[in-house]
Amino acid sequence: MVEALLQAILSGLAVGGAYALVALGFSITFTTTKTLNFSHGEFVSAGAFIGMSALFLVLGLPVTSTTFGQALPGAGAQLLALAAALGVMGLLGWLLYVIGVRPFAGRPGMAWVMSTLGFGVILQSIGLAIWGPKPVVVPGPVGDTVIRLLGVGVRPQELLTLGVAVVIMIGFDFVMNRTMVGKAMRAVAANGNVASLMGINTNAVMIGAFVISSALAGLSGFLLAPIAQASLFMGLTVGLKGFSGAMIGGLSNPRGCVIGGFVLGVLESLVNLWQAQWREVAVFALVILVLAFRPTGLFGKKLVEKV
Amino acid sequence: MKRSQHLLSVVLVAAALVGITSLFGNDYYLRIVFMMCVYYLCAAGMNVLVGYAGQKSLGQAGLFAAGAYSVALLTTRTEMNPWLALVIAAGISAACGVLIALPSLRVKGPYLAMVTLAFGIVVEKLVGEWTDVFGGAQGIYGIKALTWNGQPLTSQQWVWLGIGLCALTHLLLRNLIQGRFGRALLSLQADEIASSSVGVRVYRAKVIAFVVAAVTCGIAGALVAQQNQYINSDFITFHLSIFILLLVLFGGAGSQYGPLVGTVILTAVDAALARWPSAQHFLYGFLLLFALYVMPGGVTGLFSKWFRRSTDAPEASNAAAAPTRIGPEGKGELLVVQGVTKNFGGVKPAQNVSFRLQRGHIHALIGPNGAGKSTMINMLTGLIDPTEGSIQFLGQEVSGQPVHSICCMGMGRTFQNLRLFAELSVLDNVMLGRHSRMTNGFFASLFALPGAKKQEAATRERALQLLDLVGLLHLAHHPAGSLPYGLQRRVELARALATEPQLLLLDEPAAGLNPQETAELGQLLLRIGKCGVSILMVEHHMDLVMSISDHVIVLDYGIKIAEGKPAEVQANPRVVEAYLGVDEEEAHVKPELESQPC
Repeated sequence: MVEALLQAILSGLAVGGAYALVALGFSITFTTTKTLNFSHGEFVSAGAFIGMSALFLVLGLPVTSTTFGQALPGAGAQLLALAAALGVMGLLGWLLYVIGVRPFAGRPGMAWVMSTLGFGVILQSIGLAIWGPKPVVVPGPVGDTVIRLLGVGVRPQELLTLGVAVVIMIGFDFVMNRTMVGKAMRAVAANGNVASLMGINTNAVMIGAFVISSALAGLSGFLLAPIAQASLFMGLTVGLKGFSGAMIGGLSNPRGCVIGGFVLGVLESLVNLWQAQWREVAVFALVILVLAFRPTGLFGKKLVEKV
Repeated sequence: MKRSQHLLSVVLVAAALVGITSLFGNDYYLRIVFMMCVYYLCAAGMNVLVGYAGQKSLGQAGLFAAGAYSVALLTTRTEMNPWLALVIAAGISAACGVLIALPSLRVKGPYLAMVTLAFGIVVEKLVGEWTDVFGGAQGIYGIKALTWNGQPLTSQQWVWLGIGLCALTHLLLRNLIQGRFGRALLSLQADEIASSSVGVRVYRAKVIAFVVAAVTCGIAGALVAQQNQYINSDFITFHLSIFILLLVLFGGAGSQYGPLVGTVILTAVDAALARWPSAQHFLYGFLLLFALYVMPGGVTGLFSKWFRRSTDAPEASNAAAAPTRIGPEGKGELLVVQGVTKNFGGVKPAQNVSFRLQRGHIHALIGPNGAGKSTMINMLTGLIDPTEGSIQFLGQEVSGQPVHSICCMGMGRTFQNLRLFAELSVLDNVMLGRHSRMTNGFFASLFALPGAKKQEAATRERALQLLDLVGLLHLAHHPAGSLPYGLQRRVELARALATEPQLLLLDEPAAGLNPQETAELGQLLLRIGKCGVSILMVEHHMDLVMSISDHVIVLDYGIKIAEGKPAEVQANPRVVEAYLGVDEEEAHVKPELESQPC
């Protein structure tokens, strides 16, 4: 029983790491541009599939194949795939900002909700046209041999996901709080107009926010693919849980978002032990509960509208 | 009468459609027409939510599922009459609508959109994975179809039923949105704070909009399940939610026929592309991404400029005896503020402030910038709760009450930075002011009962009178946002008067007005005072304050430093000090307060 619990917590932390990356992505675009990428989930799937197709290409298989068969990509191939996933996703983030967000940002009516949603639907339908709806088993970069840890079996990919997520968070925190780039981003977040008067290129910062946020979504998809199979539909729930994590932690507080992501991962994994179909309901209920008492999240700043 | 003409034409069109479809022998085409009816139901309700209340719901598939699975379970697990099951399904969907609307109490905008999205996904997962109850991908077979004379409906009868329901939905929703409720929904879309300050119960209105969308969507789902006699989890996808939203946005959100146009076009396209699902999805994505960019008003928005009715001729003033009584006569204390303190962290815009306002007087609240004047007005009207102290209006405690009920008690206000509903006409703005004084409820509006019509007419009459009072009758049908700044201030004043206040709170009514306009405003305020409305105004124009007010209260850094007759206050050394500062040597020179415009 204790082992099952430990197991659930560990794998929850691993998936939570992926959620935390997604949550962080939401937080970055929200604080700098006051918009959210409603197709963040599709970006997670896209990250997984771009990494996967890079692996196919390195192994000499056609991009449109849907199985790895016996082929096993080496460490170099995996690194190359990671770079491809991050790079392409960054570009997609830029494209999204230019055609889907900038024309609508700051205007009433939340038209950007629709345009970002539409961008994701387009991405997904392109993916469906190439690979079809079936999930693909992707080999992990660190092998599939189960490691024994405190009497609990853990898949190395789960540990990798957790490790990468933690490293990224710490790095991001450092950049945001200790460097000039971070200061510029926080300035734009606080007041874009004033920031641009101070000589900060707000447009570049906003593009940067979307590039980083999309790359994080891609990374999360790339890491999740070997754990849960790459599927074009995996992203929607991952994106949604990432957002739930961000809401629980507070969208305006990156650290809170990360904590929220991990909490959700563990909660989901524990509920899964008990009754699989209540997983989503439990997550949703927690979000509603948090919103009921702290509308801006557990660690978020209270927003006051001036009258 | 316009309404009966409309009714007649809808009936004729529906009858014509029924006639045409009865000639169809082809089940495929009948099926497409039936799906158009189903989607129109979804879109018509969604239009109330998206186009009028301005809330984005991305989880309509969940409500569709609520209706569909309700009839499925009710007719397969019990021996219930399918018609009764349809009605109950609508009720269950309404309950789900309330469930989605609950978070809207706390969150807005993108958060709420994401919560609705989450609702849709949760339902999708639930019906897909909880196979014991919902059958998952296997689905539920043997759902009982609706019957007529004991026989299940034929394909043609299904279509006729669909057309009938669509016509009925169109008529009912038209009743709803053309009167009190439609205005309230539009106002909360424009500005929730202003909306609640004219007495609209914002949260309740949002819940109603969600429930309307939920009921139509649930009925649509139930019809699909009963017509197919089968439902499985493949029906309930995120793409269905997107499709329903797209029907409204593509057709034209907030326009009466937008959902119809959107439904007919997109359902036809959908049927044509049915063989290539990824092309279908690509098209939806493309439309979502670019349609709003190219045509923000949807298809109907593109064509509306050709069909726009010429702005009605200026209203003849049938309200010759315009300045009528608004508040009751009498004397005595209207508002008692006792020991009110407010802390925003370290900033204290009010510290132990007490004052009393008399009925029939014009009071002024003055003080340098940052003195806490606007904060005081916001506390009186319930937008901010005081940290300590009590505010009693007509003997009733005000602090802690919601904004709209304070408005109903008889306190009206204007805002420092105008908060008009810019897209609505001047007349609609003022009619909204009377929202809380109208008594027709939801169902009276929905069915356009005689009472509702009478209320609507009375409100219109009253609004025109008030517009006459502020001298804007000739601009009644112009969008409020298109008026020059000075006139917009007067519209806001008329809107506040329409709430039938006993106490009118004006937050810098003369800001941005030139001396001529300021003088006119002073005369107008005196006239309003004579109509039985007491006034408390925050103002920097000292000439205005000194010439019309009976009693002046001076705040400085959240502390009341003086009050009394204008002349007394003017002579008070503390007031002089607060405004001009004190210079050691010249502290005794009497300054000219009048020349202090700020």
